Amino acid sequence: MRSSFRSSGSSGWQHRKIGVSRCSRLCVSGLKLSAQRLLPSRCASTMSKVEARKRRSQLFDEEKQRQRSELGRIEKIEVTYKSVEDDVVMVMNRNISTPYDCARHISENVAKTAAIALVDGRVWDMHRPFTGKCELELVTMQSPKTGVVNYAFWRTCSMILGAVADSAFKDHVDVHLHSFPVPQIHSGSFIYDVFIDLPNWRPTDSELRAMSALFIKLTNQELLLERLEVPCDVALHMFQDNPFKSQQIPNIAKNSDNDRVTLYRLGDYVDISKGPMVSSSGLMGRVTVSAVHKLADGPVDGLYRFQGIALPKGILLNHFAFSILEKRAKKLNTAMWQPHIEGEMINVTASMN
Amino acid sequence: MNQPNLEKLVNKLRYNVKPRRKFRNPEGSEGRLLKFRKTLTALIKYERLELNYPRGDEARGYVDQLIFEAIRHGPMHKETMDMANFWIIEKQLVHKLFKVLVPRYQYYTTSFTKLHKAPNIYPIGHYERAILELRGNMYPSVEQYNPHERNLLHNLLLDAAKKEYRMEKYKEIANNIKQ
Repeated sequence: MRSSFRSSGSSGWQHRKIGVSRCSRLCVSGLKLSAQRLLPSRCASTMSKVEARKRRSQLFDEEKQRQRSELGRIEKIEVTYKSVEDDVVMVMNRNISTPYDCARHISENVAKTAAIALVDGRVWDMHRPFTGKCELELVTMQSPKTGVVNYAFWRTCSMILGAVADSAFKDHVDVHLHSFPVPQIHSGSFIYDVFIDLPNWRPTDSELRAMSALFIKLTNQELLLERLEVPCDVALHMFQDNPFKSQQIPNIAKNSDNDRVTLYRLGDYVDISKGPMVSSSGLMGRVTVSAVHKLADGPVDGLYRFQGIALPKGILLNHFAFSILEKRAKKLNTAMWQPHIEGEMINVTASMN
Repeated sequence: MNQPNLEKLVNKLRYNVKPRRKFRNPEGSEGRLLKFRKTLTALIKYERLELNYPRGDEARGYVDQLIFEAIRHGPMHKETMDMANFWIIEKQLVHKLFKVLVPRYQYYTTSFTKLHKAPNIYPIGHYERAILELRGNMYPSVEQYNPHERNLLHNLLLDAAKKEYRMEKYKEIANNIKQ
């Protein structure tokens, strides 16, 4: 098999534009029945992966602009920031200002280290606008007042792993992100399930290392995780080229209280998640993409489970202890969607993360 | 052969004494003692000092020993009083030793003092610094603990790894018993 991996050794290999040749390949080969069934023609778009990501990001921008323009008159609200020493009252804009803006008013360091906010004691994303007068507390990875911050970190890592899986392969390999289950720290690794159109792919060590490098590139850019709630049809339009997500979106919207889907954006990569997420990708320190396993009993055929492990920046762990964690993260993580009822329910729980 | 048992006469210091003492003085051992006298008086007066490490490390033993003597014999014992008069330069602090420190440390099973390493001063740099304090003082603690230490992500991960390893071992043992 020719190298299908963009970052692996054969760097001189030209990207082949997908198009007719790939479609015919899909239809002709009898072995790939599952792939054929899974990918309806509308999903087999002619866009390259970079273009698809850009398009999604652009739609995200447009929706954000639209929501902003609908706000109308700007209202002022009082936000009481509870620091260790004393309380500070800030006057912010309703539905525009976020806890991150407050943190930037306080100091650069606070803005950089704060992972998640507590608004009136409720967990709140750093990039989610305030909806009224409230009290604000900021939680860092170094002082996890609530365990939620760790789960948010784990969830964010899953999402970045999805971004890595999305951008790691060359254009001629079909890659569709499926979902990531609810973060389970005790399972030892964060995961992302990805459909890859390669029947029996086993990543080599150098390929895993290349993926870790991609991950680290994303963390070094210190990208902010923007949050946006969009109506169901916008989300569907955004993810029209992803067969799994476009199936999941109606279910998610049905389960939410106002028929909306929460999206997160990191750089130009957009994903669906219930949240909360940490404030930026700069909070990740040491990262390893530890293993990729083929799922035998997944909801669809051809799913690969990407696994990784990460520690927050500023937490120092000696290499021996970290190697124990890495070794554990190599084992197949069996965290599942708990399929209570057959069929639809699987998708619902999968996308509840 | 009627030597008294030294361990019963002198208190054994309740901390690990470093074998090599580094505090030196150009005036020899007398100069050393005079320096320690100053440190000891200041420590009883202020209860927390920042000073060079060798001096703090060695002065610690003298403080411990003096307080121990004071607890053991009380103010009516002439030799103890002489000791206190020698070591404590400011006489009002002798009262503090017997009236404040003795009741405080009566039932202690640990050392009466605590020595912390302190950061050295930037431009001078090469002197090791220390903080010497009497235990149970009224200042806020020098050591800062993270109350959420168990909640830190790497600790959670390591705990989970430990648990899994143990479960595997238990299974192994159970299998061995079956065979």
